[in-house]
Amino acid sequence: MAGPANGGPSRRREATDLYATVLEVVKRYHGAARITRVSYGAGMPVDRLRNLLERLGALGLVRSEEFDGRPVYEITPRGQEFLDTYWKMRAYVEILGPAGPPGRR
Amino acid sequence: MSGHRVPRGGSVRLGAVDGDLEVEKRARVEADGRLVVSGTVRCDGDAEFQGPLECRGFKARDGEIRLAGDVVVQEDLEGRDSSIVVEGSLTARRVDVDRRLEVRGPAKAESFEVGGSLEGGATLDASRVAVGGRFVLVGKLTAQKVEAGGRLDVGEVDLDRLEAGGSAEVKGGAVRTSIEVGGRFRSSAPLKFGSIEVGGVADLAGGSQGRSVEVGGQFSAEGDLTFEHLEVGGIGSIAGNGSGGTVEVGGRFDVRGSLRLRGRAEVGGSIAVGESLDGTDVEVGGRLEARRAVFSGSAEIGGTALTREGLKAARVRLERKSRTSGPLVGGDVEVGARARVEDVYGESVRLGDGASARRVFGRDVRLEDGASADEVTYTGTLESSRDVTVRAPPRKVERLDPFPL
Repeated sequence: MAGPANGGPSRRREATDLYATVLEVVKRYHGAARITRVSYGAGMPVDRLRNLLERLGALGLVRSEEFDGRPVYEITPRGQEFLDTYWKMRAYVEILGPAGPPGRR
Repeated sequence: MSGHRVPRGGSVRLGAVDGDLEVEKRARVEADGRLVVSGTVRCDGDAEFQGPLECRGFKARDGEIRLAGDVVVQEDLEGRDSSIVVEGSLTARRVDVDRRLEVRGPAKAESFEVGGSLEGGATLDASRVAVGGRFVLVGKLTAQKVEAGGRLDVGEVDLDRLEAGGSAEVKGGAVRTSIEVGGRFRSSAPLKFGSIEVGGVADLAGGSQGRSVEVGGQFSAEGDLTFEHLEVGGIGSIAGNGSGGTVEVGGRFDVRGSLRLRGRAEVGGSIAVGESLDGTDVEVGGRLEARRAVFSGSAEIGGTALTREGLKAARVRLERKSRTSGPLVGGDVEVGARARVEDVYGESVRLGDGASARRVFGRDVRLEDGASADEVTYTGTLESSRDVTVRAPPRKVERLDPFPL
């Protein structure tokens, strides 16, 4: 997948990019995201994804419930807030460009 | 029904199967002209089909399936933990694949649901398309609702709704209701749209038309744009003419041609319009620049207003220490303390403390403490506070020449 959260120009994916990628995939399943499906969507192995989803759950960004004996995941309003902030911030970082040390006048 | 089973690693040539066709791991099935299966094709593991295939249902699990020919599935095509490649066209009722689906010819179904990636080499027609990761389509996409968790890159569109998590690129067309994209949205050809909501960056081709645009970071239209409401958090630009209802930009807004609004423009930073800027009201925190700017209501400028032909509004208000070039025309014109302006025309003109003007033409003119002007011409009253300087003697006249603009 090209670029962070499949969005912009390539740079090293940071933890926040991975969280955003996973949240965007979870969001598309409207409360019925199975871990295997999220793993295919986010391009991430299931064991690694399980840890990441646990972290997102602990932060209140996703919630899970049992369906047919298996956990399914759903994005929370707080998770949506994270995504909104993430994308806006990404755009500002792009607008401002790479920052060097502030020059002296 | 008798059915048929192709054993593991086996290779057969078949024309018609009455009942189900069971295909085991690494088997190869060649169509004798056209393979028609009256029941369901079930694949367990990798399998390959040569030639056109028609069946009632198609179910694959844990495999990579290659279908080298046109495929018609009367009911559903399913791929559990599988990837499916169709080298011809695909027609089915519903398509549900966990990993990857590639269709090189035209694809048509009520719904496509793919966990990983969906790639299409021609057109795709469906009511609903949902892809967990990446969706790439060379040709036209026709659907009611399309969702992709990651990247969406398709040809011309004819859609009701489009949602993508990461980025979306379309080659023009129509998205009648809404476009929601987290990161970046681009249309490389004119697009008709209902609403666009993008968290990061949005670029539209010239000639695009729609109701509302809301972009968190940066927005650009590569030519003319028609809209009802445009809201940009950071930087906005229109490379042609803009025509619409209202504009709200947090940072900078550049329009190469004219900007004609039926409502208000609110810009936190600066607005630069190459030709004329029209609307009901304008509020600019920093700088306004235009050949001419005309508003039926109020104009409030926090920093600088630069016009060649002038800035006109029913109420013009310049904040303290602001600067203008080009004439100011009101209504009521209020120049803040220590502001510097050129010619001012108004029914009522007030120069604040220490403000300076070149020439003032008004019915009623008030000069506050320390204000200065080269000339003052009025028809009604002139009020001056302390330490006011008017370089030429003020002139009271019967009537003023018509104001500019």
